[in-house]
Amino acid sequence: MAPTISVQQLSKTYQVPEREGGFNAAVRGFFNRKYKDVKAVQEVNFNIEQGEVVGFLGPNGAGKTTTLKMLSGLLHPTSGTANVLGFTPWELKTEYLRSMTLVMGQRNRLSWDIPAADSFLLNQAIYRIPDDEYKETYKELDELLELEPLMKKPVRNLSLGERMKCEIAVGLLHRPKVLFLDEPTIGLDITGQARIREFLQEYNKRTGATIILTSHYMADVTALCERIIIIHHGQLKYDGGINELSKKIAPFKLIGVLMENADEHDLSQYGEQVENMEDADKKFIQVKADEVTRITSRLLADLPVRDITIADPPIEDVIEQAFNA
Amino acid sequence: MHSLKLIYAFLKMNIQMSLAYRADTVVNILLNLMWLGWELLSLNIIFSNTQTLGGWGIGELIALLGVFRLVNTLMIALIWPNTEKFNQSIRDGSMDYTILQPANSMFLVTFSRITVWRFWDLILAVILIVIGINMSGDLITAPQILTFLLLALSGIIVIYSLWIVLIALTFWFTKFDNNVTILQALLDAGRYPATVYPVWLRVIVTFIIPIAVATTIPLQALRGELGFMQVLIFFLIGIASFVIASQVWKAGLKRYSGASS
Repeated sequence: MAPTISVQQLSKTYQVPEREGGFNAAVRGFFNRKYKDVKAVQEVNFNIEQGEVVGFLGPNGAGKTTTLKMLSGLLHPTSGTANVLGFTPWELKTEYLRSMTLVMGQRNRLSWDIPAADSFLLNQAIYRIPDDEYKETYKELDELLELEPLMKKPVRNLSLGERMKCEIAVGLLHRPKVLFLDEPTIGLDITGQARIREFLQEYNKRTGATIILTSHYMADVTALCERIIIIHHGQLKYDGGINELSKKIAPFKLIGVLMENADEHDLSQYGEQVENMEDADKKFIQVKADEVTRITSRLLADLPVRDITIADPPIEDVIEQAFNA
Repeated sequence: MHSLKLIYAFLKMNIQMSLAYRADTVVNILLNLMWLGWELLSLNIIFSNTQTLGGWGIGELIALLGVFRLVNTLMIALIWPNTEKFNQSIRDGSMDYTILQPANSMFLVTFSRITVWRFWDLILAVILIVIGINMSGDLITAPQILTFLLLALSGIIVIYSLWIVLIALTFWFTKFDNNVTILQALLDAGRYPATVYPVWLRVIVTFIIPIAVATTIPLQALRGELGFMQVLIFFLIGIASFVIASQVWKAGLKRYSGASS
């Protein structure tokens, strides 16, 4: 059987106007605009089978969203081909649009001022979903996402997590076979993220839908995807199992230590010191995953530790590290 | 059939949206009652004034006013709110969702916002047209009324198409928020029968800017001044402009998908 998604030599080059800062440059740029080619995606190849959940990883600007947009049909590639469910996405055939969905965590499909229930009904009309099928799908989604209490409030009164649930649900009313999710958990708290994750897992199990998602949260990807595709500077850098990747690339953990008189203590004997912008009070070291317990107990014994955290390195760092090495 | 269902769904949603904020709703009702009163008052002035303008009788002028109001309703009820929504959706990227819906995107962009408050405008327009035709005397025959309605419809399609082309330009320019201001400025020229303008301006108003197509020409049909060929030509202009607008829209979408990131 042909794969659900197959991508060959897919490339996208943008032309971006380029000019220096300053008034004179702005005036010059008005009359004589210079463009720079930006290669967002370069000759990417992969196949995805029906029912797979694949995580797209890569730092900001790596080409993840561009790839997703080409696969969903929003963008024409500069060259190369893609086939999803037997369709060329950017031909935007009605039949294709009815069998896929794109959910973007940073964009709203629901109308702000009316209850989500009404936006749902509008989508039922647009997707021509028969009443009985709509009711059935809604019941199923409600079971998984607990939508009912959210349906009657205007969307503007929902919390971010509640809204995201509704945004995902509205994208699934037509029972798409392929789901493109662009950072579906962005901005959510830990419980919110976990709920969306559990939902996607269950949804995939129940419907056999194929899911591609991008995320900045390592946990999203480790929980959901057995396979990941890493894109960096527009190029496919890794395509394979997630376990192999973390073994290969990031067998590290970050230990953050909060100490009295932190400046007096040097942590370099315990592991490589790293900067962490998000938490400037703590000092961070990077250690091999299998040495975490040993080093943590040493730290606790040797130093006046007030607080200690152990975490996966941020996904961006993992990838940067892997490919800049 | 499905299109009607969709329009109905949009209409329902827009009524719900207009009722979302209470104070806003009350102000809107009051404001629209005031507008209606003002409109009726100014019509009264026109009715009590029997002068003619540019050789047009009072009945014909009233019918013209009716057609003009029809165009105006189109502007207020659909074009203004949907332009705002369109420009915003280009800026915030929700246009992406519109494109990926399994329905004609031009259709979705046309009907997703409807200013429901101005429905009385539509009723007023129809009343004016009926009264105007009645006042024009017994000389008017059924075919004249029919061609009048046909060309009025075709004229509205021309204006609609012009609007589609103007907003589609946004796909190329990214920021083009004045798109409808241009259209409104053009339309305001159509408020008076094209024959009151000097010839050179009339040519521009009729051909280069096809606004008169929507107002004056249907009136000429009503007066039986147009031959069969002319009626056919103006009707075909309506169809052609719609086809051209759809093509420009398609090209715009293609451009959008080629350039956006």
